[in-house]
Amino acid sequence: MKVLGAGVRGAWCGAAVLGAVLGAGVLGAEVLSAVQGAPAQPDWKALEPEIMRHFQAIMRIDTRNPPGNEHLAVDYMKKVFDDAGIAGQVFALDPNRSNIVARIKGSGRKRPVLIMGHTDVVTVDESKWKFPPFSATRDGGWVYGRGAVDDKDNLTAAFETMLLLKRFNVPLDRDVIFLSESGEEGASNFGMQFMVNQHYPEIDAEYCLAEGGGAIRIGGQVKYTTVETLEKIPRGIELVAHGISGHGSIPLKSNAVVHLASAVAKVGEWRPEIRFNETTGSYFRGLASIASPEAAKYYRDVLSSDAKVRATADDWLFEHEPVHSSMLRTSVSPNIFQGGYRSNVIPSEAKATLDVRALPDEDPAKFLAQVKAVVDDPAVDVHFTGQNVRPASAFDARLDSEPYKVLEAAAKRIYNTVTLPKMETGATDMSPLRARGVQCFGIGVAIDMEDGPKGYGMHSDQERVLESELYRFVRYTYESVVDLARAR
Amino acid sequence: MTAKRSITLAATLSSITLFAQTAREPDWKALEDETMRHYQAVLRLDTRNPPGNEHVVVDYVKGVLEKEGIPVQVFASDANRSNLVARLKGNGRKRPILVMGHSDTVTTDEKKWTYPPLSATRNGGWVYGRGTIDDKDNLTGGLMTMILLKRLNVPLDRDVIFVSEAGEEGSTGVGIGYLVRDHFADIDAEYCLAEGGGVTRIGGETKYATVQTLEKIPRGIEIVAHGISGHGSIPLKSNAIVHLAGAVAKIGDWRPDVRFNETTGTYFRKLAAISPPDVAKYYRDVLSPDPKVQRAADDWLFENEPRHSSMLRTSVSPNIFQGGYRSNVIPSEARATLDVRALPDEDPAKFLGQVRRVINDPAVDVHFTNESIRPAGPDAKLDSEAFKALEAAGTRIYNAPTLPMMGTGATDMAQLRARGMQCFGIGPATDFEDAPKGFGAHSDQERLLESELHRFVRFNWDVIYELARAK
Repeated sequence: MKVLGAGVRGAWCGAAVLGAVLGAGVLGAEVLSAVQGAPAQPDWKALEPEIMRHFQAIMRIDTRNPPGNEHLAVDYMKKVFDDAGIAGQVFALDPNRSNIVARIKGSGRKRPVLIMGHTDVVTVDESKWKFPPFSATRDGGWVYGRGAVDDKDNLTAAFETMLLLKRFNVPLDRDVIFLSESGEEGASNFGMQFMVNQHYPEIDAEYCLAEGGGAIRIGGQVKYTTVETLEKIPRGIELVAHGISGHGSIPLKSNAVVHLASAVAKVGEWRPEIRFNETTGSYFRGLASIASPEAAKYYRDVLSSDAKVRATADDWLFEHEPVHSSMLRTSVSPNIFQGGYRSNVIPSEAKATLDVRALPDEDPAKFLAQVKAVVDDPAVDVHFTGQNVRPASAFDARLDSEPYKVLEAAAKRIYNTVTLPKMETGATDMSPLRARGVQCFGIGVAIDMEDGPKGYGMHSDQERVLESELYRFVRYTYESVVDLARAR
Repeated sequence: MTAKRSITLAATLSSITLFAQTAREPDWKALEDETMRHYQAVLRLDTRNPPGNEHVVVDYVKGVLEKEGIPVQVFASDANRSNLVARLKGNGRKRPILVMGHSDTVTTDEKKWTYPPLSATRNGGWVYGRGTIDDKDNLTGGLMTMILLKRLNVPLDRDVIFVSEAGEEGSTGVGIGYLVRDHFADIDAEYCLAEGGGVTRIGGETKYATVQTLEKIPRGIEIVAHGISGHGSIPLKSNAIVHLAGAVAKIGDWRPDVRFNETTGTYFRKLAAISPPDVAKYYRDVLSPDPKVQRAADDWLFENEPRHSSMLRTSVSPNIFQGGYRSNVIPSEARATLDVRALPDEDPAKFLGQVRRVINDPAVDVHFTNESIRPAGPDAKLDSEAFKALEAAGTRIYNAPTLPMMGTGATDMAQLRARGMQCFGIGPATDFEDAPKGFGAHSDQERLLESELHRFVRFNWDVIYELARAK
């Protein structure tokens, strides 16, 4: 069988020995497949324009949520799937907020693997963007746009994986199921919740890969990859200060804006206590062994039983690596504050919203009481918002599982680096799947650690991804899925 | 009325006395229904500013005055935001007196009101509604005085001018600013009476009257915190909301320096002299050169009599705070607006410097909003004919001494004082306890006692009659 032109090269190094033993040469990929060795290795360089084409097309579709309109992205993917001979099925609670599922069947000898990427993105404050947020502008080796690293990178990688599996007709032991769901950013009732509650058989799998992990570059070099095996749980809190309304020329002690400001200032100063679990303990120990000596010291110190040593390391992390500071604890970020409507009127109320991401073992009621104690003001009411709370997972994904090992091997091969298990600070759609017993692993593209503090990270006003890393991530995803699902 | 100097008067003394008796004591009881009718009518007209639409009040008042045969002029730079000027001519022997009541009110947060804010509901002896004490009470007082002067055909030494201007609450450009700039000749006067004073009741009894002869100057400040935007699951040290909250908390804690001027010094000394001992102590202590003693008194005033605390200093009230638009996104900016009322002798640039030092955060930008600045002008004189008439009326009608007062809030008198007019802020009796309970001006349950509305109409009459009538 002649392999199609869109990029095939010789066997990759993992199967080189086998290839050599069987006398396979540069064009012997299909021969290798026939004897159940490593399948065809795509010509990744030649695939770059196609990958960029799909990535930019999907990025340019305005799926900001609200309102979502994810059906526009689903329409695009369905068309491409149709042209490729892949049957894409569309499921929707709201036709504007549809979800697409596609399955490439395997022999059934093993249970399916599910690969995911959500279509929606968070909203934007257009006035703050240098390149228009839905332009997918390529500049300086990056692609800029809302969704570049959350989640249209994972979506493109999974999407392209399906196209390649079909194109190269890879024999599979596991069905590979593709799901692109809507509403991940705060409206999962249209997306993941709907799919899990109403169409679970379409996506039931043994393993799943979604967003949440990634490779970290420092100073332009990949230092380690992470696979998310556990996530923090969002438990938003609202603070409401009540005071007396009055005239702005007569300041009042009860001023609700002042009381709320004090409360938020105290919460902002507060560092909830540090607590490790199996994943985060492994993670920081792993980091300490591969990082530079200056950084390694902090990763070790933060595990110290001495509170002062821990606090100093924590301070450094909060300032320089805030994602790590967030992993240590139930974190709190005051993100909305609203009080007053007229410059000369003291309002009788002011409200603030705290984005709380709880450690999986956090007791919500106890934590709320701690927040109340920090606020320490009877004029300020403290309560959970109860908004879009994800369920706690049944169990973490296992580090001794087949996917974890496959991902570790792919990281070695493609990024030449180690893999650390990670607890995700943000919430993902894997949570309801984990609750059903699916072992889910969060993966992601390589990003520069320096980007977040500079304001280029996910949800920021200049979200971006390196082109070279996008391509690399597609390869990492494809090879991992093949390794996990192929017939042996 | 004191028996007077001139023999030329004696010939007509008896007829004047007879006439004065009638004019002196209109039938107030009979007038109450009419007063309430006009008061409620203007309260029910929606002149919340923005957008204002003050022409609806002008139309109503114009109709009332013209029915009485009082000529009315309407001046407007914006037809929806008109200003009413009515004049009863005198013999010209003395310069005119101007009485004012602005037609607009501040806005409302309707869901917080017990009675709908434009209902003018009468309940328990009170009238509830936006504008009941700012400023449709003064408007009604001026209106009823004009009507009575005309009906009783009182001969006048001074023209009496009644003005109901638009836009006092933040858009003086269509109201007093416009009138002073384009129609000053139509409103020029020696004296003017407007909002800004009042009579204080404590425990239901009138204790003292205040006449505003000086006012603080609004100098709004905006503070803006800049940070990095990001994901809510990763708290950042630079979080703009946290930085701004820290700034506002420090501002809220800060008490700018206490500084007295002639008016406020007189006010607190007189207040100490007429108050019960346990409270007088604070009014005296706040004047103390000992900072600890002063601070203790100031603390008590801030908690219990915040208006007095505001009179001691350039005051700062954080009234608006806005940051963020999504619960899981750290915004890159947050803003707050501080309502600053400056002592007349405050140096704005120096004060801004102090605010910056209190905030002490390079991530927070501090600047003036330059919104609706009022001009500074000289105080009104305490030895003037007008102040004496006000004092006398205070004794007669309220049985209370009159204290000169520095207004904490700004009024349209600022523009007139800047043109040399001597202006006095007056107002009805209100309960001292009302503001902290949330019933004051601009509050969500603004209200006025009916009995005090009527008493205030009598007070207006008393003062204007005394100042304007032919002698």
